[in-house]
Amino acid sequence: MEPEPARVLLIEDNPGDADLVRLRLVEGKSDVQVNCVPRLADALACLAVETPTLVLLDLNLPDSHGEETFRRIMQKAPNVPVVILSGQDDKALAIKAVHLGVQDFLIKDDVTSKQLERALRYAIERQGLLHALEITRQQQIEFKNRFLSHVSHELRTPLTCIYQYVTLLLDGLDGPLAPNQTDHLKSVLKSVNQLQAMIRDLLEATRADSGKLRVEPRCIDIRELIQQAVAMMRPTAAENHVSLEAGLDQTIPLVYADPDRALEVFINLIDNAIRFTPPEGAVTVKASMVETDPSAVYLSVSDNGCGIPQASLPRVFERLYQDPNAVDGNRTGLGLGLYIAKEIVTLHGGRMWVASEAGSGCTFSFTLPLYSLAKLLLPVITHQGRLRKDIVLVRVELTPLSKALRGSWKEVCQRCLERLRQCIYVDKDLVLPPMETNGAGEILFVVASTDMTKVGIMMDRIHDQLGALPKLKASGTIRVTAEAIPVSPADNPRTLEQQVWGVADYVTAVIQQGFESKQNFTEKENHTNAN
Amino acid sequence: MLTESGSDEQPTRRAKIMVVDDDADLRQALSLRLRANHFDTINVCDGYSAIAMAQKEKPHLIILDLGLPAGDGFSVLKNLQQYPALAAIPVIVLTARDPEGNERRTLESGAVAFFQKPADNEELLGVIRASLQAGWGWGGALPS
Repeated sequence: MEPEPARVLLIEDNPGDADLVRLRLVEGKSDVQVNCVPRLADALACLAVETPTLVLLDLNLPDSHGEETFRRIMQKAPNVPVVILSGQDDKALAIKAVHLGVQDFLIKDDVTSKQLERALRYAIERQGLLHALEITRQQQIEFKNRFLSHVSHELRTPLTCIYQYVTLLLDGLDGPLAPNQTDHLKSVLKSVNQLQAMIRDLLEATRADSGKLRVEPRCIDIRELIQQAVAMMRPTAAENHVSLEAGLDQTIPLVYADPDRALEVFINLIDNAIRFTPPEGAVTVKASMVETDPSAVYLSVSDNGCGIPQASLPRVFERLYQDPNAVDGNRTGLGLGLYIAKEIVTLHGGRMWVASEAGSGCTFSFTLPLYSLAKLLLPVITHQGRLRKDIVLVRVELTPLSKALRGSWKEVCQRCLERLRQCIYVDKDLVLPPMETNGAGEILFVVASTDMTKVGIMMDRIHDQLGALPKLKASGTIRVTAEAIPVSPADNPRTLEQQVWGVADYVTAVIQQGFESKQNFTEKENHTNAN
Repeated sequence: MLTESGSDEQPTRRAKIMVVDDDADLRQALSLRLRANHFDTINVCDGYSAIAMAQKEKPHLIILDLGLPAGDGFSVLKNLQQYPALAAIPVIVLTARDPEGNERRTLESGAVAFFQKPADNEELLGVIRASLQAGWGWGGALPS
């Protein structure tokens, strides 16, 4: 079978040069079709329609020069071989181009027809090989990830069995134990828990590797989350005779992050810090705002342990990195915790870094984005360049009948949120992303650009609709309240944007108050039962 | 809906829990744990027997593994929904599989809760008690 003719996209603005190249390609008797365009924009348009066998280009075009030209082409058509045909013999640029994946860098005056034809042929072959190699590499990564995922799951079944029987024995369900038997079984249980943590880390790292790690950001009160993490880690700290304290800036606004994932990051860092701190040492968790970066909250976990040697600092976030200085040397885990923590923070759009001086402990710091209510509110509360007069905040509170129904409760809240979106009065009204309350209950907010009378109708509708959800009926109660939001007078000299910020601040304050009252929440409060 | 027994009173009727898992050792361990907490148990090892046994024994609650021979956990959930007498039995899924993807799917298929193995004993017992109390099929008193 005759091979298909090679389709060359020639990008050359000089008509004389273009003709010359065309001529040379034909002289070389290679079976080619040449499509010549004079500008980068034309070339990008061509690439959007059809993928050529090869791109041959001049670097200096009317709309692009030098490196920029081939970078843009390669971005648009990553698998197409690119050969540069330049008027200038720029050796440094040539090497750089080759390093960036350009197949060849030819000089116009030096190339004969035969050489050009050969250069193009080999460029196509080399690109094909590279492509095949990349596919193999991807398949191997995919296999490795599937293998790890499979193994981790298979490990869980026997581990569950060990856990069940050890706890049966420990709880005395098979008869009383001698004190040393209890101690030995506790050691087994500790190892079971470590093994379980390792399997979890292995799966998480595999997910991170294959881009399957997901975060579901919500509006959260980061101080509450930190207090939760500290409470969870306090027993471990006590066991290791290390103090654990939180220093929290009281003015931190709401943070936009996945509460489960963020908690994982804190637990990870605190656990790590405890492990590298000798007895009588201290671990401190801090949260603060930084003036130079008002869009993020700065979080840190520091210890006064042995610190990390300068030489090791760049490597601590690498997979499988294990520090030789752990206090409990043989129980360092898989060396995946920090890698996973950094991946989670990066997925939130934050950064994570470490600072340490050998002998005086180390500090792991990271940022999480603040929640920008103003951006979400802008289209809802403005109309024709002015702030709307009537703005109401509707608060929907869902409380589970039993704290233990955790599994299905998350799902119930998801359903309620979906239903809530159908209840809003006009399509401009805004159902805010869920607010983390850290209790079992859920508080959802709607910002409505209408007056209290109409909101009354909306509230009835929300009540009827959510109350009719069978899952909610079986497991929880609902309460709906509304509050009118004061709007700054129209003759206020401030800009519209500042006014929106003002409303956003007010709404945030109301929501934060909600969090605080939630903390003082008592069961005696009167709820409207959905039944 | 919920009748609390007096604190000192032994319950006269015990809730019956069916454990569906293909791992015999795990089934046994779970049963021991449940019986120690004053529940009656029935052990079943596959999806087909799960439905047959549920019809015969009418358990008050089912603990269900997902990876099962003769009809996996999802088909058991689906089948239970087809019998009016069984549809109301609360099902707690206990599996080695990932919550990601599976949790939502099991809850949508009618399960009341999802646990990944190994599940903490106290958490699992808490959900078992809450599910029985929430009025699905069990009118008797619960041991504390």
